Amino acid sequence: MADAAFVGVGLRSAHYPRLLERPRTKVRWFEAISENYMGSEGRPLEVLLKMREDYPVALHGVSLSVGGVEGPRPGYLERLRRLIDRVDPLLVTDHLCFTGAHASNVHDLLPLPYTEEALKTVARNVARTQEALGRTIALENVSSYLAYRESEMSEREFLVEAARRSGCRILLDVNNAYVSAKNHGFSAEEYVDGVPAELVAQIHLGGYTDMGKFLFDTHSRAPTEPVWELYRRAIARLPGTPVLIEWDEDVPEWETLEAQAVRAARIAEEERERQPA
Amino acid sequence: MSASRLERLQRAFVRSATFAPDASLVAAVTGGGTLSSAEAVDVYRRGYPARLTSALGETFEACWRVLGDEDFFAVCRAYVARTPSRSHDLSDYGETFPGFLGDGTALASLGVDAPYLADLARFEWAFKELFHAAPVPGLSPAALAAAARPDSRLLLGAAALLSFPHRVYGLWKRDRKNDAPIAEAEWRGEERLLLYKSGGNPIFARELSAPEHAALSALSAGRTLGEALEASGLDEAGTKELFAFAAEARLFREAA
Ligand SMILES: [Fe+2]
Repeated sequence: MADAAFVGVGLRSAHYPRLLERPRTKVRWFEAISENYMGSEGRPLEVLLKMREDYPVALHGVSLSVGGVEGPRPGYLERLRRLIDRVDPLLVTDHLCFTGAHASNVHDLLPLPYTEEALKTVARNVARTQEALGRTIALENVSSYLAYRESEMSEREFLVEAARRSGCRILLDVNNAYVSAKNHGFSAEEYVDGVPAELVAQIHLGGYTDMGKFLFDTHSRAPTEPVWELYRRAIARLPGTPVLIEWDEDVPEWETLEAQAVRAARIAEEERERQPA
Repeated sequence: MSASRLERLQRAFVRSATFAPDASLVAAVTGGGTLSSAEAVDVYRRGYPARLTSALGETFEACWRVLGDEDFFAVCRAYVARTPSRSHDLSDYGETFPGFLGDGTALASLGVDAPYLADLARFEWAFKELFHAAPVPGLSPAALAAAARPDSRLLLGAAALLSFPHRVYGLWKRDRKNDAPIAEAEWRGEERLLLYKSGGNPIFARELSAPEHAALSALSAGRTLGEALEASGLDEAGTKELFAFAAEARLFREAA
């Protein structure tokens, strides 16, 4: 993992048949959505364990609700732990957000106010999570379409402080940083530059959709050029960090997805060569 | 204990996303881009029914085909409005959807006359559950032969034993390109089915006679083989056939 480019892609059921043929691929690792495998002992898990024989796998959750006042829902951490024990993942990640309440899961990444109370809530839930899982997790910055008037700090300060206080790491999604920067009028470059390198466990790269009035995090297309540029800036400072291409809606053919991973790897290598020895 | 500021905010957000915009949330936020705060809250509200409807569409794909986009989405809207998702996993959503279709009012209000639809939905839910179930290494033909005594208790491995007042399996298998209206002859009549895994993850189906269904139900309920066969009314030839199939499919496991 010491080379500049360690690029993976999201494992999607549309690609199962192709991947089970064990093609030669330039993709180095896979990310699986934890919830898709936590409740299944059927074919999805069979495929995941098969892939695991050949590749490192990271588990990426969408329903931990680490910023939720109620915390993770009952049974969630136990199930995730069982999956971790079977998959032996490279990394376990989720999002710095809340996803609903126990009585009603919104299945969305809902933004938190950047306040002291939210920081305390996150720190408490991360502690509980890392204890239950027996390992350090990484939390991802999310795209947002609204901001709270009561926020006491910037999004970047909140992200870094949440990681510092709770002892977890950061999954830096450069697309989400770009989307939120455009939506809320801050500098995406300063955001990416301001996340301490030692906290970053992984980088995400995905595509947004321009809705006219705002940018929407859809993961339904390739990253846009400004996001590639932002990624170049990030990987120059974070060589060797695992990078993941996210493409969740309108999933393309395997080769198209793989080409994005190749491009991300090439950029990482170019930046590495540019560095003084 | 009074709710904290964060707790009140989060409850207002969940209400806004799943039901209707909450004035306290709208007042507490500013919109991204050129969105007003109400429009920004609405971005989250619009995504919610779309996600749950797409989960229902995945599980109840044949019902969707039967109803067509417009009616299926209308039924989903009504169902989502009264049924929150409580699980971390979207594919758990819709357990009560067959019952919702079956109570009649949802379909009647759309002018849809499809008495078989709730049964088709039950079939699809059972299929989805079995899809996620662990395959069970069942008894080999030799092991089953040795275990099949009148006092032995045999249980089904990864399987679903189904019985419907309408025939739905043919509708489920119906060619996607066949858009001819569904004729009464396609669904009229009872149907008994066994969905099962045979050691691996592929799912198989077998239509069952009434006595076969009765025998397997009795075994699943923990009755002995002798009791189950006696109660089912399965004759000797029928018993032989059922056990030949069960041996080949490695259908049974022995009760602990
Ligand atoms: Fe991401």
